[in-house]
Amino acid sequence: MAAPDLHAAPDFHPKRSLAARIVSAYGQEIVIAAAIVALFVVVSTINPRFLGTNNLNTIIAGNAYIAVAAIGMSMVIITGQIDVSVGALIGVLATISGNLAVSGAPVWIAWIAPVFIGAAISGVTGALVAYGRLPSIVVTLGMLSILKGGLVSVTGGAWINHLPPAFQLAQQRWLGLPVPIWFMVALTLLAFLWMRNTAFGRSLYAIGGNPEAARAAGIPVERRIVQTFMIHGAFAGIATMIFATQLRVIQSTVPPNLELTIITASVIGGVSILGGTGTVIGSTLAAILFAAIGSAMIFVNVSAYWLRAVIGFLILVTVLVDMARRNREFRQ
Amino acid sequence: MTAKKLIRHETILALLVIVALFVLDRQSDRFFTVDNLFNQGRLMTEVGLIALIMTFVIVTGGIDLSVGSIVGMTAIVLGVFWKNLGLPLPLAILLALAVGTFAGFVNGIIITRFRVPALIATLGTLALYRGIAEGISQARSVRGYPEWFFVLGQGSVLGVPTQLWILGLVALLSAVALAYTTWGRTTYAIGSNEVAARFSGLGVDATKIAIYAASGFAAALAAVIFVSRVSTTRSDMGTGLELDAITAVVLGGTSIFGGRGTVVGTILGLILIQALKNGLSLAGVKSDGTVVLIGAVLILTILVSNLFHRDANR
Amino acid sequence: MLRTMLAAVAALALSAGLAGAQGWTGGDDLPTNPLPCDGPAPAPEPMAYNGGEPANPPDRNGKPLTVVDVPKLIGVGYFDATSKGMQEAAAELGNMTITTDAPVEANIDDQITVIDNYITKGVDGILFAANDGVAIAPVLKKALAAGINVVGYDSNAEPDARQWFVNQAEFNGVAKTLVDKMAEEIGADGSFAIVTSTFTTPNQARWIAEMAAYQAACHPEMKWLETVEAQEDNILSFNQANTLINKYGDELKGIFGMTSIATPAAADAVTQAGQCGKIAVVGLATPNAMRPYIESDCVKSTVLWNPVDLGYAAAHVLRATADGTLKPGDTSVKAGKLGDLAVIKGSEILLGDPFVFTKDNVNDFDF
Repeated sequence: MAAPDLHAAPDFHPKRSLAARIVSAYGQEIVIAAAIVALFVVVSTINPRFLGTNNLNTIIAGNAYIAVAAIGMSMVIITGQIDVSVGALIGVLATISGNLAVSGAPVWIAWIAPVFIGAAISGVTGALVAYGRLPSIVVTLGMLSILKGGLVSVTGGAWINHLPPAFQLAQQRWLGLPVPIWFMVALTLLAFLWMRNTAFGRSLYAIGGNPEAARAAGIPVERRIVQTFMIHGAFAGIATMIFATQLRVIQSTVPPNLELTIITASVIGGVSILGGTGTVIGSTLAAILFAAIGSAMIFVNVSAYWLRAVIGFLILVTVLVDMARRNREFRQ
Repeated sequence: MTAKKLIRHETILALLVIVALFVLDRQSDRFFTVDNLFNQGRLMTEVGLIALIMTFVIVTGGIDLSVGSIVGMTAIVLGVFWKNLGLPLPLAILLALAVGTFAGFVNGIIITRFRVPALIATLGTLALYRGIAEGISQARSVRGYPEWFFVLGQGSVLGVPTQLWILGLVALLSAVALAYTTWGRTTYAIGSNEVAARFSGLGVDATKIAIYAASGFAAALAAVIFVSRVSTTRSDMGTGLELDAITAVVLGGTSIFGGRGTVVGTILGLILIQALKNGLSLAGVKSDGTVVLIGAVLILTILVSNLFHRDANR
Repeated sequence: MLRTMLAAVAALALSAGLAGAQGWTGGDDLPTNPLPCDGPAPAPEPMAYNGGEPANPPDRNGKPLTVVDVPKLIGVGYFDATSKGMQEAAAELGNMTITTDAPVEANIDDQITVIDNYITKGVDGILFAANDGVAIAPVLKKALAAGINVVGYDSNAEPDARQWFVNQAEFNGVAKTLVDKMAEEIGADGSFAIVTSTFTTPNQARWIAEMAAYQAACHPEMKWLETVEAQEDNILSFNQANTLINKYGDELKGIFGMTSIATPAAADAVTQAGQCGKIAVVGLATPNAMRPYIESDCVKSTVLWNPVDLGYAAAHVLRATADGTLKPGDTSVKAGKLGDLAVIKGSEILLGDPFVFTKDNVNDFDF
């Protein structure tokens, strides 16, 4: 991934057949898609209600905010950085959004404000990483504490209710499909095409692959990192737009372990933690897979006490299967 | 060269610790007492043990997110072996330590044999180990441990809290191991350039497996001490401990990219965090304020240290 | 070798999954004490005082007190409300200052550290709501040994680790109210499921165990389907409630929410599924969290005590303990505007019966 002409990611080997090239370029996405299909087939034979429209909505629309946040997270990880403060950020943004809506601001302002505020806060994080030369895990561990403690100090965890009905974006449907699904699909495709086909998008892969080489090739690495964090913050804001409007009450606290769920979706979705490879289609599929596993466990009556063990086990299996595939490919 | 050595990260951190201790001492006359300091040592033992070995893990360029879950799993295993299977408590402790070490060993195998990046592997086992803890315990806690067991977490030996002796011993051993042994040099070599280390004929995989197993052992030891300190066993023990340990290690100057870091730095990082938590509370700052301050201190310390480093490098 | 191990884990998980289908999931294993189905509860047998005693406390009678209140965590509406009640009592009494401080997450170790710090700092009294009654005991005993007055509320500790515990409502009383409400809404043979926080949260586990015992005795025809965990996460609670609705279809007649986070989320799931009136939601939740659902008639009532009163009573009990007006062996204590509160089970003070919030009174409360 060193030289600029290799920016195009994922890279294709021209001599192999089209199918082989697709499998090689999108192996992880295919593994996860296959896992989703297998899960749906197996579970629906045990309990056909699993495939009901409502349940598909619950799985996909109910977890779309995770997939959306994972898009931004994937970009950050592709450039070789990480953000462990995203859960706290979403908690803060949801509180701001809810309070704006209740205070009588126009609904669209309550929706849009998190996007800009998220971009601004993450921009600070990005600047500390790029220009302060701090490892992103250090900055975001610090931000996690600051955002979480700050939110508690300011709100005391008060419930926000009496939200205007027009605010409930995530409960609306367009053409029969819940809004969160539209958001998830459109943003995933847009981000995927943008990262694949624009110079900016491809530069993210170059920076993650080898920052020095990227710099030598004329990519403004520092500026790109700040911009990537800002885009990530904006995606956290869009995720908030869905997250905060799902219910008629908002509790101004930080959702527990949300950052872990989002990071897991990104990395299991094939975004290399070392930077440089992966797509947001993979992270979105992974977000759906985890949500589906959680739901499936209830449908097949796995003991609730063992639920998390089974989920952890399935995550490991997915990772190991993918690793076995990559190792085999590597040897070829 | 000498200037560069003088303003290493550890020196800056040590100065910061001294300043913090001095300032906090001025805020409350109950801060700098033997009783309070020993007590703080007691409270930081679990995270300390884990952070010490986490230093090795991070120096190799890896990470271990599963330590908090290993604490929960081994605590449960300890309780179940003792209460439900009726084994003698000392044997149950040994088995719990063995289970923790094995859990770390499994991490090492997944990372080395299957070439899964450490972050992904331990994200998976973070969920798996916590899940096993929940599954085995069925949400029941085990209590009613015999009196002698509490010596470990609540008692003292020669006037010093029992677990501080253990923490001190582990700190000493790990400081020596990382700084002065071939094993330690291999650890740095892996973190600086794993491929080069492999080509130089170093036992990269064996070293990494040993380090992750040691990390599991440290988590299990922390679990046993924690159970003894709080006299009960629950499956949610140690939740979030991994982030506390990693915070102490990176505050201590260990590079998250591997190859650089010292045990002394980690110890200073641990002391600074514990002193802030305790001293700020005594000075009247509430927990939410303390959390914010620790976050700011983490960012600023590394920032300042980086600035000095860049000057020194020029 | 790894494959063998993974297979072993899978087999273990599967067998446990099949074995787990009996009994209510989520209850604890302590003995239960269901109330009679009809009529008043039998008078409890008087018990000797079983709380602890501070070692050589100074004479605090009528003197200004410095008190720290350590709830399970800060930054949630419920403990904001208890803290409000304490400030009310402190203002009324005029001779005590109460600071609320606790970890930002409900973590047993962090809570112990906070209490420990205040023991070092030196306070006259500690009010606490335990994340784990056993785990917190050693540090509370340390406080007693330092001559500090220790009073619990909301969530108890081992009796000998504190002096008094202000009990918001007895577990079996809450269980009876919840199950009776559910039976009233879904009929004597309805099927229901539970959304709780985690199986290890002590109060929730206790309520579920008591609900199981009471249902078996008094509503034997009702059917418990399953219990799901949803952490303290409102979107996860919403998704879990939806999954229950999708899984059981028409069979599911009611959902119990065991926390102020799970109950409104379950109500929202029922609303959005268009099942209001078909699936009843009964649960423990603060009126502020449930207001939209009660106002829209999707939920008939929510059960809780008044957390402001709970904090208020706890502060009064601590004052009375420090003054020496509440001594071991007393049968009641004066708690300001709440009047006389009864002592039960040796060293507990009962706030009263659980309170039912309905459309008629929900707007009278702000917590």
